[in-house]
Amino acid sequence: MPLLINRELVDNDSWQLVDAEALESNTLPAGDIIVPLAYYQAHEAALNAREGQVAIQVSGDDEIDGVLENPNQFPLIAIFIPALRDGRCFSIARLLKRAGFKGQIRAVGDVSHDRLDFLTRCGFDALDIPADRFSDEVFNAFSEFSVRYQGAEDDSRPVYRQ
Amino acid sequence: MYQYNQVDQQLVNERVASFRDQTRRFLAGDLPEDEFLALRLMNGLYVQRHAPMLRVAVPYGMMSSQQMRTLAHVARKWDKGYGHFTTRTNIQFNWPKLEDVPDILEELAKVQMHAIQTSGNCIRNTTTDQFAGIIADEIEDPRPYCEIIRQWSSLHPEFAYLPRKFKIAISGGPTDRAASQVHDIGLHIVKNDAGEVGFEVLVGGGLGRTPVIGKQIRPFLQKKDLLSYLEAIIRVYNLKGRRDNKYKARIKILVNALGIDTFRELVEAEWEQIKDSDLQLTDAEIARVQGFFTPFDYEADAANDTSLEAKLAEDETFAHWFRQNTVEHKVPGYRAVIVSLKAHLVAKGDITHQQMDLVADLADKYSFGEIRSTHNQNLVLADVRKQDLYALWQTLSEANLARANINTLTDMTVCPGGDFCALANAKTLGVADQIDAKFEDLDYLYDLGEIKLNMSGCINACSHHHVGHIGILGVDKKGEDWYQITLGGSDGEDASLGKVIGKAVAADEVADTLEKVLSVFVEQRIEDERFIDCVRRIGLTPFKEKVYAPAH
Repeated sequence: MPLLINRELVDNDSWQLVDAEALESNTLPAGDIIVPLAYYQAHEAALNAREGQVAIQVSGDDEIDGVLENPNQFPLIAIFIPALRDGRCFSIARLLKRAGFKGQIRAVGDVSHDRLDFLTRCGFDALDIPADRFSDEVFNAFSEFSVRYQGAEDDSRPVYRQ
Repeated sequence: MYQYNQVDQQLVNERVASFRDQTRRFLAGDLPEDEFLALRLMNGLYVQRHAPMLRVAVPYGMMSSQQMRTLAHVARKWDKGYGHFTTRTNIQFNWPKLEDVPDILEELAKVQMHAIQTSGNCIRNTTTDQFAGIIADEIEDPRPYCEIIRQWSSLHPEFAYLPRKFKIAISGGPTDRAASQVHDIGLHIVKNDAGEVGFEVLVGGGLGRTPVIGKQIRPFLQKKDLLSYLEAIIRVYNLKGRRDNKYKARIKILVNALGIDTFRELVEAEWEQIKDSDLQLTDAEIARVQGFFTPFDYEADAANDTSLEAKLAEDETFAHWFRQNTVEHKVPGYRAVIVSLKAHLVAKGDITHQQMDLVADLADKYSFGEIRSTHNQNLVLADVRKQDLYALWQTLSEANLARANINTLTDMTVCPGGDFCALANAKTLGVADQIDAKFEDLDYLYDLGEIKLNMSGCINACSHHHVGHIGILGVDKKGEDWYQITLGGSDGEDASLGKVIGKAVAADEVADTLEKVLSVFVEQRIEDERFIDCVRRIGLTPFKEKVYAPAH
């Protein structure tokens, strides 16, 4: 799937999102992997013992207070967006940023053109766009608005402090 | 009123361009229908029974005469010559073509108007008192705070996909003309013991399927903390509000599920993290926005007018209109005029393009070029000299805009209902006509005194039927329209939810049923008691007995 990092298309991404089947059978691929938070919590010792880096994927239904206490134990946190209308991802990303997370925040799931700018403003640096929703037009998404009223993660100053 | 600066204008222009691009991608098949639906709703565009419906924002009900003329132009050029004012003080056009909407938005942007967030699961138009800035009992003009909220909430990157729609209302003083207690967030401008002006904050009010009166979350909030506190509430809601069932997704359900105390703890903990951030409002910003709402140059000698008294004495019809449709202004010599959009047998809240142009002209001539829309679907010319009232009334009368029925039974708040709205279960317009026809006699209406009648065509309660003194809810029973009647609601500072009096009545029996209800009131009323006070005093039983008495 096309992956944008800092608004640029990248093709040498080392991270693999582990699929449900592999999780079920505990047959993890080699290399850097992203696993769901619940799986990580259940298999933390084994995951940390393997070669390759481990990242977690959280979703709006997860209790993430524990993650927020020490987010930088992970090099990357993916936030799963189950559907267009699910806006929890925006707040989760902002909470991670506020908790001091320095790693990559990656949007996965239903990621498409008309939310890319808001995702970026809320702190996402990587956008994993499904192939069928990707075209060169998505790069326009970041320049549709040149002004904004609110502060966010890209610039904390609201318009009245700019 | 507020005037756009370059940033405001740029944002609206860019939203027009982005919507044009979204429409293009949708028509080209690049944007799935379901996704375009969410995006177009966030720009006020519904698909209705006959055509799309475009809802244009009228921020906190304020319009200039120039904006009103543009609305008239839109109605003429792209619609069937009229518009409909809503209970969020916005205006809807019922007949635009989808592919024309970007052009309409471009036209609106030229006069600092837009359709941003007039629908969808996002922060909607903030509403307030239609008499803001001119009424004696207000503590402070709420409109600057409405504008500050408008800017903060417009294209907010975090809160564009909330669990459900989100509505904020602000009341400027102890008399609540903004229905603030039935909003997701209600803000009351209050003074604390130290004499500082700030906000009492309510949360979790709302109507719809589960009507709830808002609960106090904070007795006093400093002005500088307005946005950080709103952000804390909405962040908690965004993360914890239900998303599995749209009927349980409003913040009121979350507040009730957690309890207000637990909800408050979550909000206050979140707020603690952000209250000292850049979100804090600066005195300079508050003063800047307040600078757009300073009093007009009122004429000192307007108070010396004697012509009004003479006209009132000689023209009884005018005197009725004066009593019903004008309101005391805090500046001597001036009145606020309510332009009735509740003409006899006309769809409530509807206004033709000719009427829009006329109201714009009258605003220029008599009221400093500004017009307000009310949450009861009327218009207000807020700053009219007493000496001009007679001439204004004559012109309004000729245009069918001076029905002297404000705050009476026929000043009904009515949604477009099943004739237009795809969500409606029942029609409303015919029933409103039936009520108009039955209660045409103004003397009878004046004798009945203040009565708020609100009628919604479905449980979504766009017309706030739960908080009408008399509420009418259209329901569908096996393909037929039936109407459930509630009594005892109020959206004022004494907010209460009406109670259903019994089984729904058939479409052709609504006005007769109201007549029975009113006959009980007339029998039981003590002196000049208001209808709502009588209902509260005697309870529903006498009304039920009368309405559902077996036929003789």
